[in-house]
Amino acid sequence: NIDPESLLPKLPSPDELRPFPTTCAAIFRGHDGRVRSVSVDPQGIFLASGGDDGYARIWELSTGRQLWNVKLSDEDAVDTVRWRPGKDACILAAAAGESVYLIVPFAILTPEIEQTSRDILDAGWGYAASKPSTTADEASAKVPPARWSRPGTKLENKGVMVQTTVRSTVKVIHWHRRGEYFATVSPRGQSSAVAIHTLSKHLTQLPFRRLKGLAQSAQFHPLKPIFFVATKNSIRSYDLARQELVKILQPGAKWISSFDVHPGGDNLIVGTYDKRLLWHDLDLSTKPYKTLRYHKEAIRAVRFHQGGLPLFADASDDGSLQIFHGKVVGDLMENATIVPLKVLRGHQVKSRLGVMDVDWHPREPWCVSAGADGTCRLWN
Amino acid sequence: LESNLADIRYLWEEGELRLEMTVDEVVDLIEALFAESPHPLRRYALSSLVNNLLHNAKPIPFEFLINGQFLRTSIDEFLTQNGISAETTLNVEYTRALIPPLHVASFEHDDWVSAVDVLSGSSPAGGWAGGLQSGQERILSASYDGLLRVWNLSGDMIAISEPPNSGGRITSLKTAKWLSYKKVVAAGLDSVVRVYNYEEDTRALTPSLELYNHRWGISDVAVHGPSNRILSASGDTTISLFSGAAKDNPTAPASLLPTSTAASNKRQKLSKSDKTIPSRGALSALSGHASPVTSVIFKPDDPTVAYSTSQDHTLRTWDLPTSTCVDTRTTGHSLLSIAALQNINLLAAGTSARHITLLDPRASATQIAVMTLRGHLNAVAALDTDPHSEYGLVSGSHDGTCRIWDVRSVRPSAGETGQVGESVYVIERDGMGGKVKASGDGVKVFGVEWDRATGIVSAGEDKKVQINRGVGAGGSST
Ligand SMILES: [Mg+2]
Repeated sequence: NIDPESLLPKLPSPDELRPFPTTCAAIFRGHDGRVRSVSVDPQGIFLASGGDDGYARIWELSTGRQLWNVKLSDEDAVDTVRWRPGKDACILAAAAGESVYLIVPFAILTPEIEQTSRDILDAGWGYAASKPSTTADEASAKVPPARWSRPGTKLENKGVMVQTTVRSTVKVIHWHRRGEYFATVSPRGQSSAVAIHTLSKHLTQLPFRRLKGLAQSAQFHPLKPIFFVATKNSIRSYDLARQELVKILQPGAKWISSFDVHPGGDNLIVGTYDKRLLWHDLDLSTKPYKTLRYHKEAIRAVRFHQGGLPLFADASDDGSLQIFHGKVVGDLMENATIVPLKVLRGHQVKSRLGVMDVDWHPREPWCVSAGADGTCRLWN
Repeated sequence: LESNLADIRYLWEEGELRLEMTVDEVVDLIEALFAESPHPLRRYALSSLVNNLLHNAKPIPFEFLINGQFLRTSIDEFLTQNGISAETTLNVEYTRALIPPLHVASFEHDDWVSAVDVLSGSSPAGGWAGGLQSGQERILSASYDGLLRVWNLSGDMIAISEPPNSGGRITSLKTAKWLSYKKVVAAGLDSVVRVYNYEEDTRALTPSLELYNHRWGISDVAVHGPSNRILSASGDTTISLFSGAAKDNPTAPASLLPTSTAASNKRQKLSKSDKTIPSRGALSALSGHASPVTSVIFKPDDPTVAYSTSQDHTLRTWDLPTSTCVDTRTTGHSLLSIAALQNINLLAAGTSARHITLLDPRASATQIAVMTLRGHLNAVAALDTDPHSEYGLVSGSHDGTCRIWDVRSVRPSAGETGQVGESVYVIERDGMGGKVKASGDGVKVFGVEWDRATGIVSAGEDKKVQINRGVGAGGSST
């Protein structure tokens, strides 16, 4: 008689997998209404947040002190904020309504960093005028996919230098690691739902004429010229250089809310409104390698640690975040080790909404969360 | 018992106090230590005994150390726990027990208080001035509102600085120190180190020098009055060395000045300022840390050496004349604060992981962490040494408390962290009433200084400078 338990692979215990976040180290108070999005800057000094109050805010990460804010819209929420990668400059992208705002928050920068950052944003002015649109598509040649403009004196005086307006509300911004491109997703944008923007040229391209289903999220591969697009039920990867579809992942989800690509590029996590977290190994199959069902409500955001620690986290409408160990081995024979580590509780559920977003510190085993309760939290 | 007599040492914390006892009294003490008693002998009983031996009219609470560790149980339990046979020779020391530091005063600010420094006869700057009379103590506070304030111990604000013109940039201060009794140094988020003149008579705190060398915010400065040197620790991963005298420093790097760019220059001019303050660059820059530098100090007995802590998990030793890093100690956590226990050759580093690591910075030391002090529930943002004891420390944490530590109050622990220590006292923010939360929401402590005359002075998110003093201990003892 063999005990079936003994045949299961032995998982390491959470105690052996330290460090990982366990406690709330700071509460960031100041948003009026839900916080929709959080992002830690590439140096790990600042936290940016965006919320239903139409503000983008910047905080001192270690203390929870609000340092700076700007009201981007009177009507629309700031749905997403994302720092541009790279330590030489300091640029925040924030989306409210149909516009992405590119911000140099000079109030927290030395003149040198401010100038470097402004130069990066200013390089593209006039490019569209000097070079006619290269888009082959006749229709979009008439109506450019996006308008790049100066957002007006009031915002410019605060450091909001560029406004990129697309055709439909932007819900997702994702930067390419070099900081030269960023992708936006406007779920209701139909043929213009997914856009790729080139910073140095102030140029916007629409890579997909048709998408099968409602676009949810999009992301660049961390190392290769591959681009992932999630619709409600599936995630497609495209080779940008060859302009062709590479793979269709089928997480088996009713409605995908978010996904993230492992820094190694071969694994992917998917969060769904139907409460599931799925791990896909791109080498294995188009079906999930692991399905994790721990939350009582929808999962809104999933995120891998980007700085070399084998950690990932999700954020749920049940008000909690779950922290996992996710170790990827560079060996085709060995599969990833996934261990649930910790449930982080603290955010209050408001109108059935809990934790809206999660991000990691660039180096440390610390994460930050955005709550429907109007707070951001730092966990370490 | 006779044979153990010579091995028992009695040490006073204050060297000049020698205990004279008759042989009978010593025998009484030793018998008491090892007596089989229905009530196991604990600290309190021993303390009463020593007070009797000293013929003290007013008893002084004493703590007992056996083989360098505080006695926290009965002696029997202690011997059992540490696997010591009753036949062994023990080193027994006694020292004045710390008295719970009581809340004395709080000074209200308009905004979060990030740092404090004390000027007194027993503080470094007071010492450099050749001593300061009692009653002339001053507290310097640095706030997120960008302003410096000088207070007397009655809580009167004697001077407040003007807001600096930083061209629309946030000037929240993170640190401030007395360079002398007439000069202070402050720095913060706008990356500029500013030297101010302090005039007690005119109650004026006016900027006299702006020092530029950093690209990201400054989290800490260290000062050495006699050599007029200033060190600044920055988020740009470097440390800068400046002179407090303008003429000694080179020209400031042009790209860092507010006038360097059109936009910044315009904003600078819009915020009108009638006087220009001289600006200078650094004597040297110390590069080596891979992440933001959080804290820096001069070696207490050698101002040509500095120690720094960084979010890169390292504590580094710097040789200032050559601007080189001569030693790197790598720990497991982001380091936020530092203090030197000079006489026992240890450096204390506060971590983001809620503990304090004690390290031996000498090249001969092989162990990374000698000791770990545990108890805080959040980041240890500030540290200072106990002016009464070479073994004492105070820490300030984002959990909203200060804790007092004696590095002899330890127990052995498994693992490479060496011994583990627990705090002797916990100081809450005034008005918290025992409600300590890990997140320290609203009451995080950012700065702490322990001065012999003034007591424990701490600064925090509650917009207050708080003073705590142990009745009967230290400067206020009778
Ligand atoms: Mg694999």
